[in-house]
Amino acid sequence: MSVRAIAPYDFPSSSRQELYGDDQLVHVLWEGNMMFCSAATFRAPREMSWGDFKAQMVDPWAASDPDYDPRCPGGWRVDGVEVSPRPDQTLGGLGVGHKSLITFRI
Amino acid sequence: MTAAADPVTQPPDNPSNNNVGVELQDSEESRKVIEAIVADNPAATLSHRPGLVRVSVPGRLVVRRETVEGLLGRPWETHEFQMCIVTYYGHIGEWDEDEIVIAWDHSS
Amino acid sequence: MPKLSMKQRYSVLTRDLDWEPSYVDEEELFPHATFEGIKIHDWSKWEDPFRLTVDSYYKYQAEKDRRLYAVLDSFAQSQGHLSLSDASYLNAMKLFLQGVTPLEYQAHRHFAYLGRHLKGGGPRFAAICQSIDELRHAQTEIHTLSGYNKHYSGFHGFSRMHDRVWYLSVPKSFFDDAVSAGPFEFLTAISFSFEYLLTNLLFVPFMSGASFNGDLPTMTFGFSAQSDESRHMTLGLESIKFMLEQDEGNVPIVQDWIDKWFWRSYRVTALVASMMDYQLPRRVMSWKEAFELYFEQQMLEGLFPDLSYYGINPPRHVQQAVDEKDLLSHQVYWTLFSFGFAAGFTTSIPHDDHLEWLSANYPDTFDNLYRPQWEKARRIREGGGRFFFQGLPQLCQTCQIPMIFTEPGSPTVIAQRWSEHRGEKFNFCSDGCKWIFDREPEKYVQAWMPVHQIYQGNCGGPTVPEVLAWYGLEEGDGGEYEGSVDQRNWQHWHEAQLSEVASR
Repeated sequence: MSVRAIAPYDFPSSSRQELYGDDQLVHVLWEGNMMFCSAATFRAPREMSWGDFKAQMVDPWAASDPDYDPRCPGGWRVDGVEVSPRPDQTLGGLGVGHKSLITFRI
Repeated sequence: MTAAADPVTQPPDNPSNNNVGVELQDSEESRKVIEAIVADNPAATLSHRPGLVRVSVPGRLVVRRETVEGLLGRPWETHEFQMCIVTYYGHIGEWDEDEIVIAWDHSS
Repeated sequence: MPKLSMKQRYSVLTRDLDWEPSYVDEEELFPHATFEGIKIHDWSKWEDPFRLTVDSYYKYQAEKDRRLYAVLDSFAQSQGHLSLSDASYLNAMKLFLQGVTPLEYQAHRHFAYLGRHLKGGGPRFAAICQSIDELRHAQTEIHTLSGYNKHYSGFHGFSRMHDRVWYLSVPKSFFDDAVSAGPFEFLTAISFSFEYLLTNLLFVPFMSGASFNGDLPTMTFGFSAQSDESRHMTLGLESIKFMLEQDEGNVPIVQDWIDKWFWRSYRVTALVASMMDYQLPRRVMSWKEAFELYFEQQMLEGLFPDLSYYGINPPRHVQQAVDEKDLLSHQVYWTLFSFGFAAGFTTSIPHDDHLEWLSANYPDTFDNLYRPQWEKARRIREGGGRFFFQGLPQLCQTCQIPMIFTEPGSPTVIAQRWSEHRGEKFNFCSDGCKWIFDREPEKYVQAWMPVHQIYQGNCGGPTVPEVLAWYGLEEGDGGEYEGSVDQRNWQHWHEAQLSEVASR
């Protein structure tokens, strides 16, 4: 089904990837920690290394919970698929796309 | 912060699933309207919340001009009901110069 | 001249003022009346049970305003704001002014549109009255709450905030969705699904809460607005019945709209749930209790059995709303608390007696799921900190609320739904929001998602202070209540009062 309208109705997405240049939006969810009401959203280059992404984006955010220990996250998944990320892998290489969801557990 | 007094626990509405009802402002004027509703709808139950009175009746609720006028001691037109009604549930089946009727249309 | 009966007056003063077009055809005069697929065969069958005529409309509206302005004057003259239950009570009013009042104005504009585009004289007159009502509501709400702007933060700039601040995109986009639909969908959306099904949940506890917390002006404007609301609810119910009675082909279209707009409206009321359970220092009833009374009992047990006569079923996804009643307010207020650094109102950890109230009202969920969060937040505070979510949340593409809602039956698992449209991934908080997107993806891909816009650089700059400045937020508007400008002023005013009494 689509919109019933009085005129042609076709507009581009306001969040499409090209609006972010070489970057993309990435969601990260700490599963099972109710201190975080939702996943977080980051803007990160597709070519960013996993090591940088985790150290520069995930860790400072997760440290909102003072009990967070950056050595502990595990069980990483990208859009539901298990991954074992190495620090030198790029986000793109890990299969992280625009508005993908990365989850972990502790 | 001032300690919160719990509002009085209220009786539930009639245990019927086809209740209709109105909520009216808890004011001097609506008090007479409420009295009139209770007089004309013997099955009505009342409950109170801060600022509000809820009247609930199984099936059909009627507000009669004559009864309200008798209690107010002055002429009252049914349009004036708008001045004290806060909300209602049911379907307004009739609203003329003599009465207002709230009932569900199709369920018994 | 003999006096006309109400029915005759209504007929003469509304229906008789309508006319048949002579030099343009009907399609040209009413270009928006058919494209939605709703078939109307006889507009004269429209019922207006209020039988409202223009003379009595003005007479009673003027009286309502007179009563309100008398209250506003006496409250201001007697320094009534000092007799509120607590300054933190006003957080609920700030949220209301920022989130709801601008919707009244939107409604004013769009009912004027309906007053132009509906084909029948009866519904056009009802729409015009409602348009004027909604303008009155917007004005009286602003006027009433402006009294607090002299003394408290967060009331200035509500209109700018409505257009810009992240949590206000929830009500704003909801209404944008409705006003960009056709006239019949708008009636189903706002008049029926929002006003008939859910308005009681919004207004009645809100006014009772105002009454219970010493806020006489808000209580009075609430009652004044709500007396119009009964007429609006009637328009909502009558418009549904009219469409259903006019043509059997309308039934599936109306059902589809009820399914969509119940869920859209319900998601917006999530903000009300948190207000009722967390923002009122003196609480009247819990969200759960209000939901059971005003929605389950009155709508699911009263209205929908009645509508089944026409082949209308309870809204799709309604069961999830019922299942969420023990969770909703806790999830939402925790979110507001977590992002309190970017809000136009303050938040705080509930006091002990408040925690006990929450336990007592939510015996199945509060102690095991939510109390531990507050206890941890308290430990953080005792260590000199304040818990904030130090980042930006993932948003639902449909309702634009952060994706905080949980899997049905698993209250600790955040739900994640997504769809792909033209190669792009879109995320949703629930089956309801995904279903709505999938029906009309072209509409929702345009959504102005606050988090995405911040990252595109469209909200003042990349840092939090820049975004807050762009929102128009000032010192004291948001953040923690304890130690805030409002709390300090409140204590100061009351100490001053006490010492004055003592010195006498």
